Amino acid sequence: MEKQKGRGRFIFFCVAPATILFLIFMVIPTINIFRMSFYKWGGYSPNKEFVGFNNFVTLFQDTKFLQSFQNTVLLIVIVTIVTFGLALIFAALLTRAKVKGTNFFRTIFYIPNILSMVVIAAIFSAIYDPDRGLLNGILGIFRGDAQAIAWLGDQKIVIYSIAGTLIWQAIGYYMVMYMASMASIPESLYESANLEGVSAVKQFFTITIPLIWTNIRTTLTFFIISSINLSFLLVTTMTDGKPDGATEVFLSYMYKQAYGNSSYGYGMAIGVIVFLFSFLLSAVVNAVTKREPIEF
Amino acid sequence: MKMKKILALVMALTLSSVMVTGCGGDTDKDQSKGGNTTGGEKQTLKVAALESAYGADVWKEVVKAFEEEKGNVTVDLTIDKSLETVISAKMKAGEYPDFVHLATGRPDALTETLIKDNGLLAIDDVFDMTVPGESKTVSEKLIPGFRDSSIIKPYSDGKTYMAPMFYSPAGLFYNAGLLKEKGWEVPTTWDQMWELGDKAKAEGIALFTYPTSGYFDAFSWALLANIGGPDFLKKVTSYEEGIWDTAEGAKYLEIMGKLAEYTEKNTVANANNTNYLKNQQLILDNKAIFMPNGTWVIGEMEEAPKAEGFEWATASIPRVNESDEQYITTFFEQCWIPAASENQDLAKEFMAFMYSDKAAQIFANYGAVQPIQGASAMIPDSRGEKSLYAIYDTPVNAITDGGFATTDAVEGVSIADSWFSAYDSVVSGSKTVEEWKAGIVEASDKLRPALK
Repeated sequence: MEKQKGRGRFIFFCVAPATILFLIFMVIPTINIFRMSFYKWGGYSPNKEFVGFNNFVTLFQDTKFLQSFQNTVLLIVIVTIVTFGLALIFAALLTRAKVKGTNFFRTIFYIPNILSMVVIAAIFSAIYDPDRGLLNGILGIFRGDAQAIAWLGDQKIVIYSIAGTLIWQAIGYYMVMYMASMASIPESLYESANLEGVSAVKQFFTITIPLIWTNIRTTLTFFIISSINLSFLLVTTMTDGKPDGATEVFLSYMYKQAYGNSSYGYGMAIGVIVFLFSFLLSAVVNAVTKREPIEF
Repeated sequence: MKMKKILALVMALTLSSVMVTGCGGDTDKDQSKGGNTTGGEKQTLKVAALESAYGADVWKEVVKAFEEEKGNVTVDLTIDKSLETVISAKMKAGEYPDFVHLATGRPDALTETLIKDNGLLAIDDVFDMTVPGESKTVSEKLIPGFRDSSIIKPYSDGKTYMAPMFYSPAGLFYNAGLLKEKGWEVPTTWDQMWELGDKAKAEGIALFTYPTSGYFDAFSWALLANIGGPDFLKKVTSYEEGIWDTAEGAKYLEIMGKLAEYTEKNTVANANNTNYLKNQQLILDNKAIFMPNGTWVIGEMEEAPKAEGFEWATASIPRVNESDEQYITTFFEQCWIPAASENQDLAKEFMAFMYSDKAAQIFANYGAVQPIQGASAMIPDSRGEKSLYAIYDTPVNAITDGGFATTDAVEGVSIADSWFSAYDSVVSGSKTVEEWKAGIVEASDKLRPALK
């Protein structure tokens, strides 16, 4: 009995530091965000005015917010689909097809992921430069002297330019993740498939994909979270929402409202929406992709 | 097994103790600081200043000069390029600096937030103080016009909450060498401006470019005043109802709409944080003639390659008719004392010291000109900024109170976004001038009821 008590106390002391840290730095701030979203507050003065759901009512009539919402959703969808597809294909090619220099390619693909967003923004600003940029330079071969495309200046294109940068940045990371789980699939499965004359493409869809499904599900949640976070970093460093809000995303708009527009409470209301949206979307994606795990 | 348990327990305890001491550390430091300020003999003044294009050394020198002047004062100086992030966290924790040099118009809008939250100290008495080490008062030394600027008197109570710092002409910047070489005159009216635009276009040179749309504030104040006088400007910036439907309002929109057509085609693509220098480079490369800017651009582009015979010059914003009065926006920064400052009297003395000849000379050595009489003559001849102040020798009226009237925060509404950022869309062709106007009117309508 005495021993049991000691054990309980021991577990309590071991778990306590982490729990306290988690409470202080995660749970309490999150609760605070929810609480502050009900106030009209500039952020510094002691006088906060309780306004109930007013901030949320304003939010859904705010066209600038809806534009940033639209941009974020577009980025999540495009970046997820394209990165997911390309990363899977590259991972399959590098593990299955006996390409020379697999490790070399793996390193090269991974490099964008360790670069800072500021560096990436600078690289892509140069690539997208209308006059001397790499992209217009290459397209110029086919387009001749046609008017240069303003990758960061044309409202219809600019969000895709942001998506392109995010995809370039993310592919390597997801490719390495998929490669890791593909490597653990036993070779014998592919050998027997080969003996039965199954094509490489069919092997990919019937053996590879089902066997790394758990991994794919995890990465889908990553896609949602990282698209929201990284788009903020990229937009802040590269375009700052310009031109005229065409690249504004959730978090950059939240930051501008909370600080630039002295509406801290309103900013927190946007934070609450982002929190709920990403949680909900992840839950939906998780539910939709639920399958019985296949084991080998 | 037991050993393992003990080890784990020790590690857990260490973690907890690190956490507790981590939280406690700051309070100890605060107490020692508090003791210093209330000690009586040696006083400590907490000064926070933005490190702008003039560099960090300028503040170190000024602070040293103040310490020498006072003898028994130590200045605890914080200088940073993003000062807001450094001081706002401390301010949220209740630790306020005593004196802050941070102008309005910054993206994080810390100064504006404090204005909206009534967080600044009224400093009218500073202007009646004798400048430390001199015999004149601050008011006597100030250039007329700055004392009554509505920027430093943000509310309708008539009190002053900020002090003007570093002024400069915000006009059109251009390469005087290019105009000399081509034999072109600097246009004084918009008709001459369009004429020059057509001539330049024939030679493959654009008439106009801008670094980012944010530079249109100072540009617009002068243009609005040129069109309808300072009263009209005041009505626009205080969101008067129907002001955009007047003939003057329509003229402004018409000129801006036409200017968009004369703007260099890649300007919008580069009008962002990362690439705005490329737009400024267009002037240096003789690819565009004019851009709105401030004197800091000279330092900013110092290392950049320039066309042969390049020479910085400023011009006023053109007028509608030759006979109209000429206005020029005078850009100036501000310093202030937080209402929560613990050392207000000393902070006021420091503020008054900013207008001493000693301080003004140090600022001028770095290209920053204090708004006191004779300060622009203090700039060393070797600095390019000196010639730009010559614009005040021409018959111009300086506008020192451009800027929007203070309102309570209105969630989701930003006049700067609806007005200046949206101009990018006019230039790129995705918005018509009418749509642009509708956006400005909508934002003005929402801000009007919130006027302070």
